[in-house]
Amino acid sequence: MAGRGKLIAVIGDEDTCTGFLLGGVGELNKNRKPNFLVVEKDTSVTEIEETFKSFLARSDIGIVLINQFIAEMIRHAIDAHLQSIPAVLEIPSKEHPYDASKDSILRRAKGMFSAEDFR
Amino acid sequence: MGSPEVEEASLSLDEKLLRFMDQLELMQEKRVALNALIEQGWISMSSARYSMGSKHVSALQYASEMDPLVCVEVSTSDSGDVQFFTERTTQTCSNVCEPAPTAIEEIGPQEQGVRRRNISKKDVPTKDKSDGTIREKTSEVNLTKTNEHSPQQDPLKWFGILVPQSLKQAQSSFKQVIELSAEIASLQTAILRTRQELKISLTNENAVIRLSSSVGEEIKSI
Repeated sequence: MAGRGKLIAVIGDEDTCTGFLLGGVGELNKNRKPNFLVVEKDTSVTEIEETFKSFLARSDIGIVLINQFIAEMIRHAIDAHLQSIPAVLEIPSKEHPYDASKDSILRRAKGMFSAEDFR
Repeated sequence: MGSPEVEEASLSLDEKLLRFMDQLELMQEKRVALNALIEQGWISMSSARYSMGSKHVSALQYASEMDPLVCVEVSTSDSGDVQFFTERTTQTCSNVCEPAPTAIEEIGPQEQGVRRRNISKKDVPTKDKSDGTIREKTSEVNLTKTNEHSPQQDPLKWFGILVPQSLKQAQSSFKQVIELSAEIASLQTAILRTRQELKISLTNENAVIRLSSSVGEEIKSI
């Protein structure tokens, strides 16, 4: 890992993960821990949250890509992440198109123009 | 008109607000492009699935050994700006670079072996066959070794050797998505930073306005 850039982690449905792995982001490290999580119908929210937190804790991950509908399940964990590295990016999924009003970053930016700020 | 301090603070605030708006606009544009590319990738993938069969393009086909072909370089400037750049390790480069040290070590004895064979042809013709078989065996071992050392193969090969064109199109779409997502990640951090600056400026300006208005009232009362 030394001397190499950071990884891109993916939490998403099968198609999203397959697409990004085709793009070449996939890694299985020495402990055989992947940098992606395929979320299926029977994947629990706890598992998703734990995986997300483990990705945030890993120093070799630079960007975490997550399907927006999965991000909605663990919104509190995403909102609690305020560091710039790793950056968390919400992406659309096949069944759920991207909704900017749900995006954590854009919601924070939108909060800039609340009535309190202009008082 | 207000005092020069207020005007200066207002101008700085306006400049930051405009920068913030520009960044948001750029982000929206990139988001639209990203969503379109992902959509295109899924369509191509579905098309490949249609021609290959549903189980042939699924998580079951992922390789047991994976090495990333794309990495993200993170650069943090003195001002605190974080930039993400994607860096793709090319297939040929990885294959050449990784086994290079072992290849150099293995070429030496092989060359020596060839020289020995030539010598042995002249001097000891009876040992020729046995040397040849040994060399063949070692070369086979070397080949398997190089195969073991190169898990950095094209992910397309997980899904078969002759994959449909649509799967290649899906791969190229997702490669573009990865590059675009690094740009969006940089923009996101820039937006959050500008937002923070804007908030600080806003509170400062409010303080300056309050101060200048109280000074104005005091002057009037005098």
